[in-house]
Amino acid sequence: MNLKKPALILTAIVCCGALLAACGSDDSANEGVAVSDPWTRITAPTATTGAVYMDLESADGDRLVSASVPSGVAGKVEVHETVTNGESMDSGEMGDAMEGDAMEGGMEGDAMMGMREMKDGLELPAGEEVSLEPGSYHVMLLELQAPIAEGDTIPVTLMFEKAGEVQVDAEARDAES
Amino acid sequence: MAGSRSERSPMRGSRLLVVLVAAVSALVIAGCSSDGYPGDLNGMTRQPQTEVGNVLLPNENAKSSNATGSLKGDGDGLMLVYFGFTNCPDVCPTTLADLRLALEDIDPEQRDRIQVGMVTVDPQRDNAEVLNGYLGFFFPEEQFSSFITNDKAKLAEVEKIFGASHRIGKKQPDGGYDVDHSALLYAVDSDGVVEVEWPFGTTAEDMRSDIEQLLDRRADQSSS
Repeated sequence: MNLKKPALILTAIVCCGALLAACGSDDSANEGVAVSDPWTRITAPTATTGAVYMDLESADGDRLVSASVPSGVAGKVEVHETVTNGESMDSGEMGDAMEGDAMEGGMEGDAMMGMREMKDGLELPAGEEVSLEPGSYHVMLLELQAPIAEGDTIPVTLMFEKAGEVQVDAEARDAES
Repeated sequence: MAGSRSERSPMRGSRLLVVLVAAVSALVIAGCSSDGYPGDLNGMTRQPQTEVGNVLLPNENAKSSNATGSLKGDGDGLMLVYFGFTNCPDVCPTTLADLRLALEDIDPEQRDRIQVGMVTVDPQRDNAEVLNGYLGFFFPEEQFSSFITNDKAKLAEVEKIFGASHRIGKKQPDGGYDVDHSALLYAVDSDGVVEVEWPFGTTAEDMRSDIEQLLDRRADQSSS
């Protein structure tokens, strides 16, 4: 057992070093995950929730763990997925279901859309662009402190498993463009 | 939704697929009808058509032109009926923003024949002030109806007539809860017939084209 201790310590040091290096520079973080077109939909004056959308791509694969915004914007932020009948829109079965059941039964009213918090985060497969977009993944803003107006810019901090923290500015607009 | 973007992203592709399948099915079904109109509605049509008849709900928008609280078009117009809730961050505002864009592009004479009705499936949180404020963000005050009933049986009855549904999720520790809901938009004419249903993801352009076509048909019918 005694022999193993130094090895353990060494491993710990190496790991910490790697972690530190990962969050050391913003450049390396941005190389890790490319974030494009971050935007948020303008909200009605009585709405208490909002959503932020963007495209993410990681060359080596990563995971969006969480997101945050200044507390003056929203009280709570979660990574969400909109699902239909409890199923993810991007699952293979959904494609099949759409051709058969959904058109006969599902679409006739019992196709229900809802949201699920992605407690394990959002997987970013290596080299594949993952879109946060209406009807799919989104960063949900809860307890909005004020309506989001056209022309607003919301600073969003994204936390990735490997790339660490990445800051983006989400532009407020009316619709997907 | 440009083609290149669809190819780039699997998510956009699946959303496109939903719309495509819906549109193709609608075409197939509409193509069988014998009313002499080409089956080129983008949304879904049903045979037999859904009839919502003279169903009424309390309309909490005092400035609305719809004083009776009916869920159908007026005269030669259409009512576009949606079942949703205002705490909905993604699905409802997407559809309502697309509908707003669609209506903005329609000839004003035709636009005057359109009413929008939203039935809240979350009356516990959506009171008159909240729902009026929400819909007023998307549409002119006189154009929309804010349908709110705390009578669960009544809401269920209306949902059943339309083929809509919802489910209130478990209360979370902070008091919040999720709501699942069918997310179609129904175009109801003045006979109380659902002429077309648009699934989530239908573009503003497709809605606009369907609305114009339905209104043109209606004008033809009343003039002949």
